[in-house]
Amino acid sequence: MGKLYEQLIRDYRIKEGLKACINCGTCTAICPAAEFYKYNPKNIVNIVQSQDDAQIEELLKGEQIWYCGECMSCVTRCPRRNAPGLVVMALRSLSIDLGYFVESEKGRQMLPLTRRMQSNILNYGYCVYPRTFLYKDHPEYGLTGKWVIENMEDVYERLGANLDGKGPGILRKIPDESLAELKAIFDETGATRRMEIIEEASKLKAKEMGIPYDEYERKAFEDTEKDHLNH
Amino acid sequence: MKRNVLIIGGGPAGMEAARRIRDYGHTPILIEKESRLGGHLAKWHKLFPEGESTEELLTSLTADMEGINYFTDTNIVSINKLKNLYVAIFSNGISVQADAILFATGFSMFPAEKKEEYGYGIYNHVITNADLEHFFNTGKDPRIKEPKVIGFVHCVGSRDEKAGNRQCSKVCCATALKQACEMKELYPDATIYCFYMDLRMFGRKYEDLYLNAQRKYGILFVRGRVSEVSEDIDGRLVVKAEDTLVGKPIRITMDLLVLMAGMSPCVENPKIASMTGVHIGEDGFFMPRDLLYRSVESHSKGIFFAGAATGPKTIPETLNEARAAAMAIDHYFKQKA
Amino acid sequence: MIFQGKQKIWSDYQKEIPDDHWFYVRSCIRQGFFPGSEVAFLDICRNKLGKDFFETEHHTTCGGIAYHAEALPQETMMTIIARQFALMGEHGYKNYVCSCITSFGLYTEVLEDWRTFPDLEDKIREHLWKSCRRELTKPEYLAHASDIIYKFRNEIAAKAKHRLVNKFTGEPLRVVEHIGCHYSKMFPSKGVGGAEYPYVLAGMIDSWGGEVIDYPERRHCCGFGFRQYLVKANRGYSMSNTHKKFESMEPYKPDMIITNCPGCPYFMDRWQYVIAEQTGKTYGENGYGIPVFTYEEVAGLVLGYDPWDLGLQMHQVAVEPLLDKMGVKYNKKDKYKGSGGKILKIPEFPMNIKCC
Repeated sequence: MGKLYEQLIRDYRIKEGLKACINCGTCTAICPAAEFYKYNPKNIVNIVQSQDDAQIEELLKGEQIWYCGECMSCVTRCPRRNAPGLVVMALRSLSIDLGYFVESEKGRQMLPLTRRMQSNILNYGYCVYPRTFLYKDHPEYGLTGKWVIENMEDVYERLGANLDGKGPGILRKIPDESLAELKAIFDETGATRRMEIIEEASKLKAKEMGIPYDEYERKAFEDTEKDHLNH
Repeated sequence: MKRNVLIIGGGPAGMEAARRIRDYGHTPILIEKESRLGGHLAKWHKLFPEGESTEELLTSLTADMEGINYFTDTNIVSINKLKNLYVAIFSNGISVQADAILFATGFSMFPAEKKEEYGYGIYNHVITNADLEHFFNTGKDPRIKEPKVIGFVHCVGSRDEKAGNRQCSKVCCATALKQACEMKELYPDATIYCFYMDLRMFGRKYEDLYLNAQRKYGILFVRGRVSEVSEDIDGRLVVKAEDTLVGKPIRITMDLLVLMAGMSPCVENPKIASMTGVHIGEDGFFMPRDLLYRSVESHSKGIFFAGAATGPKTIPETLNEARAAAMAIDHYFKQKA
Repeated sequence: MIFQGKQKIWSDYQKEIPDDHWFYVRSCIRQGFFPGSEVAFLDICRNKLGKDFFETEHHTTCGGIAYHAEALPQETMMTIIARQFALMGEHGYKNYVCSCITSFGLYTEVLEDWRTFPDLEDKIREHLWKSCRRELTKPEYLAHASDIIYKFRNEIAAKAKHRLVNKFTGEPLRVVEHIGCHYSKMFPSKGVGGAEYPYVLAGMIDSWGGEVIDYPERRHCCGFGFRQYLVKANRGYSMSNTHKKFESMEPYKPDMIITNCPGCPYFMDRWQYVIAEQTGKTYGENGYGIPVFTYEEVAGLVLGYDPWDLGLQMHQVAVEPLLDKMGVKYNKKDKYKGSGGKILKIPEFPMNIKCC
């Protein structure tokens, strides 16, 4: 048993998600990612099952583990009660913890992704929040979306929301003491540490790639240079 | 001294055992819950490996029933142990004293509708292996309409922890190939797929069946378990699997899908076990004293097993076990005497 | 398709849903994109059905989207959820209902995980105490808000002002139902109707007079995929999955789509617009798209709410053709107004997909 494998099986999602794979392919058959990307959940589970550290390391540093959409459709179908989606989640967490995520284009997306998600939660108490949901980042929000953004207060007020308001309701201002609790949870349970790990590893990688940190983040969020698609 | 042997189950195991027990000079009393003897076998058309006729086999099994008491449409109501005897009461009101009991209770077909994602009983052109044999026998099934693309799904309710059946049903691989070839004979223009995880061609001539299916009939083999079936607007089936040898998800539109429903433990097993104290394994099949040397003996004195009651078996295995059980019962009586 | 076969499966997946006294938690995405839906839900439950639904301003995101984007470790997500449960207990509630499907999936999973690994539950209790000084209370019942509307679907039908019937033809409207993946794919027994043929939305459609359409990609994900949408570079994944569903449902000519997940209606609505703008392809009649609704919006329309009070103006795909079919009256001029009739600049119109 390899060291990486030992680290992996400490994750509850491996305990829950990896019993024994029979290699039947029911997961890959209906996987939304397998049709779009060069991705095969069955192969990933099979590598983890092999306990072969060299191959596991390749996964942790590679693109594949980032292709899953975590829809968990695979869970319904596996005849052995495995959950390939959970196995992938454990691999991603380990890849982040070890700083391996910066070795892949899709992994490097963790910087903009984590920054955006964590700051939404810590500053506002929401994962997705209208004031940080920008049209330039989300042109698919459409022309009504643009209209909503441009007329935010009016649109939400007309619909009975409580944007930035006191008390309960839609998009209320979550009280500062509750936001402070979220911050305390982040500090206590590893989310703060995760952001630090991601920043540190990304900074080093940006230096190694010879690009400014801002540009590194922009590229990670917007650009695709490799061919990830299943043609 | 003549002894009574109660045989529960009138399929091939029970029928063959009954004649052998009679030949040893004992009195077999056979009961069958359905209205005729033959069990699942009687519903089949032809058998693997070489397309042997079920009718002929049944004729051999029923040719000589003299001296065998049997009751059809009859269930066990109770079994009680009385010193060295078992007293059994049947649903037809008859009660018998038996010196020994043979459980030839066979199996229950896995209810294919339990694999919800395959849509048996929901989509119009999804049938089971048993339905297809019925079609071969009668020529009638409204779900089969000049199919151009046909799929066979192996391991339906077998090797499936979620479906509650972890075991391999042993006979489905060969049955699928046999049925695929028969369909090709009926519909020479049809494209026929078999979706398998492992092709378990373990018996004599089975590999030939496989070769024939490939060479003579051009059956296409996809190594992957079907993940999902749906129906399109024309009522055709959309079947999704992974071709695991290529590592790519595939989607094939079909006119007929045959589910190879496996063998589940007989649904009456728990009831019968509770009456007699015989053991049931965690898989739901009866547990013999051991799986190698005393595979037809139970843990209870005077109670024996034959056939699929102790796990999925082929016809020849079942018949041989029936003979072995008859011998074991005779031996048991001789020791007692 | 044999309807009775589905009914048989539905009867195997009955879920116990208490009929009153719920602790309600909101959805990040629904609040942002479908605020009218949450307003309608609480109004229906509290004022039309007379039920007790309690909300505290102190509840927050469950962290689910961030967790599924790997921006949060598992223990962080679990502790945030434990805090939400603690709030429920502090306010004296035992029934927990959430507006979001990602949340519902996680709440279900977390409770299962804690049952399987009691040491993990202990650890989270400790985290919660250390960071928030709160005590975990586990809910006795967990429901998604669509379970509640499902439970009261016949009461809603009894009060219906409109039905899912085409008033021009008298025929039932053809309705595609789309279930959020995390509703029951992970734990089939926790969803009404199971994972393969969920009944939670189909039941509403049946009750309200519509005809449920089943199409080959019914079970396929809308394509959110968390990081596959949230990161700009990955959105092809998201769109291609929506595209796949629309190509599959198109031949059935659906009048509308009803969803129970906050994200799905957003993606299925917006990607239709993008597909139209990029390729010219539209999936509805006469150059329109197929309108996509939340179940609260549909319940609201059935009960006679004003479509602009429900927030249907926030959709990109025009809803008017469907409103006309249902016979819902609306004032065109009010569509894009602000509060108190305030005149706002109206949105621009897309090139290829017709809007009103």
